[in-house]
Amino acid sequence: MSLEPFFIWMQDHAFSAFILNSTWFSPIVQVLHLVSLAVFAGAVLVVDLRLIGVGLTRVPLARVASDAMPWLIWGLVALLITGWPSVMSTAMKQYYSPFFWWKMELLLLGLVFTFTIRRRLTLADEGRLGPVWPKVAGVFSIAVWTGVAIGARLIGLLS
Amino acid sequence: MRGLFEWVGAMESSVALRESLNAYPIMLTSHVLGMCMFAGLILMMDLRLAGVGNFHSSVTDVQRRLFPWQMLGFAISVVTGLLLLFSDPMRFYPNFYFWVKNLLLVLAGLNMWYFHATTYQSVSEWDNDRTPPPGARLAGVLSITFWALVIVVGRMIAYADLVPQWWRDLNLAG
Repeated sequence: MSLEPFFIWMQDHAFSAFILNSTWFSPIVQVLHLVSLAVFAGAVLVVDLRLIGVGLTRVPLARVASDAMPWLIWGLVALLITGWPSVMSTAMKQYYSPFFWWKMELLLLGLVFTFTIRRRLTLADEGRLGPVWPKVAGVFSIAVWTGVAIGARLIGLLS
Repeated sequence: MRGLFEWVGAMESSVALRESLNAYPIMLTSHVLGMCMFAGLILMMDLRLAGVGNFHSSVTDVQRRLFPWQMLGFAISVVTGLLLLFSDPMRFYPNFYFWVKNLLLVLAGLNMWYFHATTYQSVSEWDNDRTPPPGARLAGVLSITFWALVIVVGRMIAYADLVPQWWRDLNLAG
């Protein structure tokens, strides 16, 4: 199954035409996407550092994670809302960019990991986790999200 | 000022960096990653300061324990930012948003300095308060505002043509 018809549909959509004809729509969306990224990154990183065993180590892991969770969720929601118009208006460029698919695959991996394994780890009894797995999870999370950001930046620069 | 920018742009190492195929993507991507680390962790601290988040940590905890990581992100951002500037100074010299960004960086710095010199001196009295004193909350909100605007105008550097008419009339590009 090819997703090409879906991307052609997005590219030909009236909303895409509106975005491409507007002077300020794209810049504003790009700006908001980047600000949302900072919010999301902060909320992810503060917990990843805690998993690795640095940063806010005086506070229980579950509390650092629950404090960060609303900012992670809202940052993510804002990222998805502000990312969508960019994908639509440049759908064909995205479809043929290897970095777009790199970004989307890692994004899917990051989301699944964050809301399953990482979430369970942060809620678990810290004493029973041992010293290794939280560190692995923290490093893995940073690596995956870094990969998403690299892929994202390269869509614009190299495709 | 223009002479300085032109002189740097004519340096052999600047030309080499400018003409390298890989340097720009690497520098810009690293700049974004450094920004994520710095701005993201600054925000986590400011939320506590502003009294809107991260309540389970004390103010000094958030401030001191995130500091080394904020500084790492800051170092990455500054080094890659200076390299970007060094590689193509004459692209940035006539850019409206580049100068606004520098101004905002100064304002963000002044806000931090003023807060540390004043309200933060009495932090031991309100370290565990869910809602810090007005001075601290104001510093937190201002910090979030300034750094968010730094990101905004930083991204806008790419839209060099979307600037006020009076700036165009200055004709810095020559």
